[in-house]
Amino acid sequence: MTSPFARQRYLIDYTLAALGRRRGKNAGLLAIYTLVVFVLASAMLFASAIRFESTAVLADAPELTVQELVMGRHGLLPADHLDKLSAIRGVATVEGRLWGYFYDRANGANYTLMVPGRDAAEYSVGPGEAIIGEGLARSRGFKEGGALLLVSQTGKLLKARIKSVLSNDSALVSSDLALISEVDYRRFFELPDGVYTDAAVSIRNPREIAKIVEKATLALPSARFVTRSDIARTYESLFDWREGLLVALAAAAILAFAIFAAEKASGLSAEEAREIGILKAIGWDTTDIIAMKLWEGGLVSLGAFLLGTVLAYIHVFLFAAGLFEPVLKGWSVLYPDFALAPRIDALQLATLFVLTVIPYTAATLVPIWRTAVTDPDEVMR
Amino acid sequence: MIFQAPILALLLVSALSGATLLWAAGFGVRVLRQWDLESGSRAQLELERRTHLVSTLLAFVMAVELFALLLFVFNADRMAVMFVGAMCAVGTLNVNAWGFPALYLKIAVFFAASLWLIVDAADSRGRDYPMIRFKYGLVILIAPLVLAAGAAELAYFLGLKADVITSCCSKLFTPQKAGLAAEMSGFDEKAALMLLGGAFAALALAAALWWKSRRFAALYSIASAFLFVAGLTAIVSTVSLYVYEHPNHHCPFCLLKAEYGYYGYLLYVPLFAATAMGIAPGVLSLYEKTESLALAIPGLMRRLVAGSLALYAVFGVVVIATIATSRLVLFG
Amino acid sequence: MTTTPAGAGGMIELKDVTKLYNEGRPNEVRAVAGANLVVERDKVTVFKGPSGSGKTTLLSIVGCLSRPTTGRVLLDGELVSGLPERFLTEVRRSTFGFVFQRFNLVRGLTVIDNVMLPAYPLAPPHAELRERALARLDALGLAGKAEMPVEHLSGGETQRAAIARALINDPKIVIADEPTANLDTALTERFLEIVAELRAEGRTVLMTSHDPRIWQSDLVDAVVEMRDGRIVGEFA
Repeated sequence: MTSPFARQRYLIDYTLAALGRRRGKNAGLLAIYTLVVFVLASAMLFASAIRFESTAVLADAPELTVQELVMGRHGLLPADHLDKLSAIRGVATVEGRLWGYFYDRANGANYTLMVPGRDAAEYSVGPGEAIIGEGLARSRGFKEGGALLLVSQTGKLLKARIKSVLSNDSALVSSDLALISEVDYRRFFELPDGVYTDAAVSIRNPREIAKIVEKATLALPSARFVTRSDIARTYESLFDWREGLLVALAAAAILAFAIFAAEKASGLSAEEAREIGILKAIGWDTTDIIAMKLWEGGLVSLGAFLLGTVLAYIHVFLFAAGLFEPVLKGWSVLYPDFALAPRIDALQLATLFVLTVIPYTAATLVPIWRTAVTDPDEVMR
Repeated sequence: MIFQAPILALLLVSALSGATLLWAAGFGVRVLRQWDLESGSRAQLELERRTHLVSTLLAFVMAVELFALLLFVFNADRMAVMFVGAMCAVGTLNVNAWGFPALYLKIAVFFAASLWLIVDAADSRGRDYPMIRFKYGLVILIAPLVLAAGAAELAYFLGLKADVITSCCSKLFTPQKAGLAAEMSGFDEKAALMLLGGAFAALALAAALWWKSRRFAALYSIASAFLFVAGLTAIVSTVSLYVYEHPNHHCPFCLLKAEYGYYGYLLYVPLFAATAMGIAPGVLSLYEKTESLALAIPGLMRRLVAGSLALYAVFGVVVIATIATSRLVLFG
Repeated sequence: MTTTPAGAGGMIELKDVTKLYNEGRPNEVRAVAGANLVVERDKVTVFKGPSGSGKTTLLSIVGCLSRPTTGRVLLDGELVSGLPERFLTEVRRSTFGFVFQRFNLVRGLTVIDNVMLPAYPLAPPHAELRERALARLDALGLAGKAEMPVEHLSGGETQRAAIARALINDPKIVIADEPTANLDTALTERFLEIVAELRAEGRTVLMTSHDPRIWQSDLVDAVVEMRDGRIVGEFA
């Protein structure tokens, strides 16, 4: 009785020898295959890393953010709302926050200006001091110890000594950031006392969030409440959507690749067709040929998949995904320049596998079968 | 919300499988009408050769669908953060009415495809294609199933809206509610374990009877299907509690998460594989008397029964080990 | 010859065998028309006739390389013409060894790899297979060239490598299509010696040839003459 494993081993032996013999043809296929895997893998790894990054940032976000709505739009939050919120049972702390955007005519970029929170001791800034993001520093050539100079639309001047420049660790959200004191903030934006941009509410027991939102809605009917998981969901769908768009674009490339693979698999060279004919005549069965060709496709796929994924990993995590940054980030003119934390996840790999190896295999099955059913008496004619 | 890489991947798989099965069913109709082994004509030779293509394609579809089944559950689990109320796959699948039907249909496709491959393997051992009509009749039946699974999946993904508030395992797998999931979790722990024990006993008995007389192959397959249901019920109602070490957490999906060391795979993989093998002997026994298969079928059946018994044993051992090593004590 | 009763030594029987190529198309060719034939075991039989007479087609039907369009083929009394390709392959693999006109070795592989190829689907232990292949090559005087790529062999060596390959599965019947078409006289002599050895080993040998050196040889037990797809004569 023939052992199926021994038979497969022989078939693999033969396949390896055959791949070696047609190195030129297979190298071309491998290169294109690898490129397809590389592009797709880069997009997916990058999106996943960015998503992870934002999740890490969100972990520090307050459980609940409260915004005042004026005519259905985000308005300024009166200070007395803070007291009403504090009065709700289960609320640990309430903090009014000041933050906003500033369009810098000097270089056409948008900055986020913000007053650091009370408990963020490491970022505390006194009047006349500032901490700025790495992107802002880079684009305007600001340095630590130097002066931050901004002129508002109404001509107010903000001049502050740069206490420090934020590191690259979570540059995605902090890149265009400038932290300044409350006094400077209110003066620069001509903002009266007693109003805030919004409020951050921390809650003792996360299970009570829904209940507290319910109570707070009654206490502050004009306010909007955004929970941390709402933000997470928004981020998630935003990233997924962008990633999906890239993947949809890549689908066109994959389709083209599948057609190319099918073409390649059916356009056998005379030499190869003769070889299959010989094998069939000397006693190889159709299933042997199919199995042998599947091994061939499998080995090429494995090689391309591994190579493409490793290259993509290097591209994304060592070279910060130079190719895709503008597409996937791009929420500000200031692109963060930072290294993503290396991260690979099984779902992404599985998806990548389905999106590359399966179309390739599907495209080559019919040509493989067509090759395998060569008449065994072909070589005698 | 279909512009997500894993969803696009799953839809791609469904589209490929659907197209393949549609074509295979069309070819099946041709086989049923034109098959004539006596003829040495080119047309007959073409038909015979195309059966190789169908076998290869369906093996591919089965491998891909199996992979897709895992991906489907895995992805559902991952998407849980996007839906209010969802903590794991259950919540995500519950976002609209198509989630669970899509999952059930996918499981059905897996079993149908594995059964077909076993029938195909048996048929290829007979010199006169003894099961050819049966086999292609089966393809014609499987095709709508695959298409339905694809359609349910598409409907499910198209219907995913992030603002839906869904209910998750803690609500769905609650004995007080109505429905299949609740029925399963509502099962008394002791009764569920007894049912599982009974199913194992029935399977052992069926195997013993089959060993004595080959007439009982169908009985073995029925016992096997029963053990599958009993196994799933036991997982939902009891085994999950031991894994989570929590007296009320009945969830068949959280088991698959990293938090629980991917424990679910130890339970599901043997159970599914054993059942895929176990339901086949009954079908093969229909052709036991066929002359050209008289030599091949008994051996194949022996291997299927032995293989499924071994895998069920693995499943049984994992269940017992879970209960024995858990810090949760349900029965004093 | 045809008078041999079935089962009593008639190894291969052809009954009313017809083979059409390009069936039902304008370029349909009737390569073999209504052939009836019994090939006896342990003999050397030669099919002769001009090219296009159908001898190669008939040989490929006898060798289970192709199925007749109509008619029946029996091997040791068992009907093989209706077998699915897969089983036909099995029969072919275990019964026949082939030496093709252009030898058809796989280029790029070594001699020994070529010789082992027909055994791959049977998956014998690798060491044993290698040993068998080396023994075959040794018997044919090619032991020293086992690891050489086949492109580097001379004409006669190539043929002997092809014969070694045909014998690797120890077939009862060896089929050779125009074996001496590309050989000079000395090599033809050597080939006939090998045929004698095969016969002495108890193998049946079938050949097509339009080479008089072959069918006039004393080694040949029977000659089947063909013309226009029909058997027009059989001589002992």
